[in-house]
Amino acid sequence: METRSDLRTEELLINMGPQHPSTHGVLRLVLTIDGERVVQAVPHIGYLHSSMEKIAEAKTYRQYMPFADRYDYLNAMGNELAYVRAVEKLCGIEVTPRCEYIRVIMAEMNRIASHLVYFGTLGLDTGSWSPFLYCFREREAIIQLFEDTSGQRLLYHYFRIGGLRNDLPSHFCDKLAEFLDYFPARINEYNDLLTNNIIFQRRMQGIGYLSPELCRRYSVTGPNIRGAGIPYDIRRVVGYSVYPELEFDIPTRPEGDAYARHLVRVEEMRQSVRILKQCLEKLPEGEINVKVPRRLKPVVGEVYERVESPRGELACYLISDGSEKPWRLHWRAPSFYNLQVLPELLKGAYVADTVAILGSIDIVLPDVDR
Amino acid sequence: MDAGLDMRTTGTKSDDSILSILRLIVQGIVSIAKSHWVTLVNFWRPTVCERYPHKDKSLDYKPGPGYKGDFALITDKEKGRLRCIACQSCERACPNHCIRVVPAGKGKDRYPAEFYIDVGLCMNCEICVEVCPVDALTMTPDYECSVHDPRDLIRNIKQLTERGMEFDEVSRVR
Ligand code: SF4
Ligand code: SF4
Repeated sequence: METRSDLRTEELLINMGPQHPSTHGVLRLVLTIDGERVVQAVPHIGYLHSSMEKIAEAKTYRQYMPFADRYDYLNAMGNELAYVRAVEKLCGIEVTPRCEYIRVIMAEMNRIASHLVYFGTLGLDTGSWSPFLYCFREREAIIQLFEDTSGQRLLYHYFRIGGLRNDLPSHFCDKLAEFLDYFPARINEYNDLLTNNIIFQRRMQGIGYLSPELCRRYSVTGPNIRGAGIPYDIRRVVGYSVYPELEFDIPTRPEGDAYARHLVRVEEMRQSVRILKQCLEKLPEGEINVKVPRRLKPVVGEVYERVESPRGELACYLISDGSEKPWRLHWRAPSFYNLQVLPELLKGAYVADTVAILGSIDIVLPDVDR
Repeated sequence: MDAGLDMRTTGTKSDDSILSILRLIVQGIVSIAKSHWVTLVNFWRPTVCERYPHKDKSLDYKPGPGYKGDFALITDKEKGRLRCIACQSCERACPNHCIRVVPAGKGKDRYPAEFYIDVGLCMNCEICVEVCPVDALTMTPDYECSVHDPRDLIRNIKQLTERGMEFDEVSRVR
């Protein structure tokens, strides 16, 4: 057969998303592929933009509270925590010890719930259906407790400036203790099901390598940076709320691949269980609310308050001009920063691994777009 | 790191002597057998999923007190009138502007002639309930609000009063 000199191969441009089932929301990835390898990946964001920061300028500090739930919907309690802490710092409000403990309990429960969703959806992304169902069953126990406490199942609006909506319901502590007793055994089960499964391991090991250098360059935080071997956790670095009084480890893995990030999250669930057990023991009696003026007018000034969300460093930057409404509010949303590193991770990866790598950095799209 | 997370398969990726391939096969079989064992254990656990709304059990579910469901206006049974004094605090406080109160009467006899809440617009934040000076408005554990026409989601004073008949106080977590 005659060979023709103008025969050649071409790079192919494919659109992944915005309505792709495995992009965890509405993310559009434009992939340039050469055969089976990704040459370049460009994430297009903004499909879920909801003006969360602009809305704040038109609402009073109290009115904005329920909006804080709504951008990282898997970590609503954590968002509320960041926002109330910022407002309280701005107004110089000190909350009671019981309130602090309950807030930490809620934030840690939400961390477990969020990691369970991550675990389940990563299973889905890599072709395993059962972990998703089992994780959601366990998550249901937490959601039920949230429902009994705050009256809602996903977007709670439970924290208030200077306190909480109400005290814990009478059965809360027993139910939570019961959950904490059986949950670690369930984590072992999930590990047998997914983490130690040889197919999953060989799928996840060695893909999406994130070096410490890359983490620093892109401000990657959360389990992603800890999966690259750097023990950076705001709960330790800043030590906000009652975290300095609690004992817990910060799990890290040196490998930096998708599997390492997965292991860090699994271990974090165990640490959250540890924190919750201590909180239940130490939970002080007493009031939950302090008196706050009806019309909240902070002094002129600005605050930057950081908390550790399940996805990384979550911060609320608030500027007050002395009126009832914030002059400017900005969210340092961890998913936004973590997503920026995706093109670097995808360079040279197989197309089939794209979804697994995306799943392993665990982003929530409304958190990216705000 | 926990003992449950074994890393036995690491490092065998590029090694392809017969022995290591055999070892890998055995490990694969063991790990997959374990996964199946977990599924088998879960097979005997109680089912948690319900075929809503086709099963009676899920229809019976009532959330606890303090659930942020549909709205109700509380009637003062002694005086035989609504507690609401049509002060419109809730209307002003609502972040989504989904309440509309039409006041009538003067001074002490002020009452709401109409009271609309657009449940479709509401984000169930409970700010309106909290600002009410006379505890006249409450959220109830009624959660089944789905309708075919979005206009049916706008509650009027008649519906709100009817639902409020079972309530003497604002529904709160106990
Ligand atoms: S619950 Fe919130 S959004 Fe709904 S009517 Fe009341 S204040 Fe408005
Ligand atoms: S429900 Fe309460 S806040 Fe709203 S108008 Fe009536 S009295 Fe005022």
